Amino acid sequence: MTREELLQKVKAQLNDKILNFCELSPKRVYITVPPEDAFEACRFLFEECGGRLVTASGVDTPDGIEILYHFGMDGQGMVLTVKTKIPTREDPKIRSIATFLPGALWIEREIHEMLGVEFEGHPDPRRLLLPDDWPEGEYPLRRDFKGVEG
Amino acid sequence: MSIFTKALKKSIWVYHMAASPCNNCDIEILDLLTPRFDVERFGILLVGSPRHADALLITGYINRHVAPRVVEVYKQTPKPCVVFAVGTCACSMGIFAKSYNAAGPLDKLIRSVDPDALIVYVPGCPPKPEAIISAVVKAISAL
Amino acid sequence: MRYLFDFLIFPGFLFTAVVGLVASWVDRKLTARVQWRKGPPFLQPFYDILKLLGKEVIVPEGSKGTGFLTAPLIGLAGVTLVSTILWGANLWGRAFVGDLIVVIYLLTLPSLAIILGGAASGNPISGLGASREMKLLLSYELPFLLAIATAIIKLGGSLRLADYTETLVVGSVSGVIAFIVTLLCAQAKLGLVPFDIPEAEQEIMGGPLIEYSGAPLAAFKLTKAMMLFVLPVFLMTVFLGGFHPKGIHILWGTLKYVGILIVIVLLRNTNPRLRIDQAMRWFWGPWTVLALAGVVLALLGY
Repeated sequence: MTREELLQKVKAQLNDKILNFCELSPKRVYITVPPEDAFEACRFLFEECGGRLVTASGVDTPDGIEILYHFGMDGQGMVLTVKTKIPTREDPKIRSIATFLPGALWIEREIHEMLGVEFEGHPDPRRLLLPDDWPEGEYPLRRDFKGVEG
Repeated sequence: MSIFTKALKKSIWVYHMAASPCNNCDIEILDLLTPRFDVERFGILLVGSPRHADALLITGYINRHVAPRVVEVYKQTPKPCVVFAVGTCACSMGIFAKSYNAAGPLDKLIRSVDPDALIVYVPGCPPKPEAIISAVVKAISAL
Repeated sequence: MRYLFDFLIFPGFLFTAVVGLVASWVDRKLTARVQWRKGPPFLQPFYDILKLLGKEVIVPEGSKGTGFLTAPLIGLAGVTLVSTILWGANLWGRAFVGDLIVVIYLLTLPSLAIILGGAASGNPISGLGASREMKLLLSYELPFLLAIATAIIKLGGSLRLADYTETLVVGSVSGVIAFIVTLLCAQAKLGLVPFDIPEAEQEIMGGPLIEYSGAPLAAFKLTKAMMLFVLPVFLMTVFLGGFHPKGIHILWGTLKYVGILIVIVLLRNTNPRLRIDQAMRWFWGPWTVLALAGVVLALLGY
């Protein structure tokens, strides 16, 4: 299907959940959804639109922690990103998409240990990159991280 | 100066250890050992085991995972030995100084184990092979 | 007293060590020239051994200290004895019946020393290197012995080394075949590419010698250098008519030795390294057949 048909299909399915629809350039489209609907949006893109998870990013912004899932739409030559912002910084939670998408296992582990976001339903929430003697509760990529002794 | 130290100056066997570098310094060290620069005429040979080595070429800013291993390799090298901190990252952690994973520049790590270690700094990002050769020559005259 | 002098000074330990280190310099210089670079200076191998003698000796905790420290001496003693016997036969005709068998037996001692040292090191990598050395030893001894059997048959069954300096075994077809087979087996015995599998530096970090440092390592390196001198002399004695210390024959003898050394070094520089299973198949397959062909031809009189 062409690019326009794909965007029509996405808008039709996720109609009331889309908070913001931004076409930054013909190849980059950002869809902002609330955190509860991110799981459904990703499932739709993966299973019904032929999307391929490229990677996921986590950003610590002044009004919350933002998680972005980037899906490559290879048939249309564009990248569609699902953006969601979790408003609280104490104990942020989001539903894990690794339950149906094994490719997201490791990146969610990394976002969990670096930013402290808890992914509910993640089958294997271990540490990925930090050393074994890293203290619990210290999240290096948060803005207020000051450093760890030793 | 004893005959053994004189012999050490003429025949330095080198062990290369990459302690979380970006690998540019390793590429320059590899260039050094190719026929173009021909360091064998100074007696420098690359060996495969730290126990055969007289000089440790350590690159990379040391991160927390690899710091205990660098200390182990230093202890396994028979003394007298020289440690070369190759590249800006090994001398002073460079642009990674404030990283959450950094475990101190190389000299802080080695001196915590052996305060009398002979450490040679080769700054540069990456240092040219000629710079590394000149560092080896200076180290030889300081032995 | 005379024997002690022969064993320790000339033509024993000191003579073999010095000439062996010069031979290893020739090897490194020729390798450098083949690679279009200048090589190390003349005294480089001497500096290497001296430097190693001045380093601290570390005996790892998991190793068997006795085996670890005596293994280098076994190899050194073996190669010194071989040199004494060989030069005794060449220079003064001093030989006894069966000394060829003794020399062949003693020539395996350096490899056994590496196996012992590697197995006693307590390191899995050195154990792997020791097992590879064992497999290599098993594979090249077979064609080696068959080729020497050809030479024995050519000389009518004599086992005295001094008799070999009288005849030129390579003057016949079977002699040439046997000489080529022995040359390749010598390459494996010396641990040079394409058969330097046990000590593959890039692959297993020094192999059986990984835990050695200081004086024992110097003993191993010296043994290897001395083998580089002794093995071509053995080849020369058995196949090419030996070294006669009279007049023009001294030059001939030196040229024969240098010729074999150059062939070994050039073979080393132009070939990649084999895997251990390829090397075993190589030795037990085509080369054994060739050596057997040499034996058959010798029996038929060619």
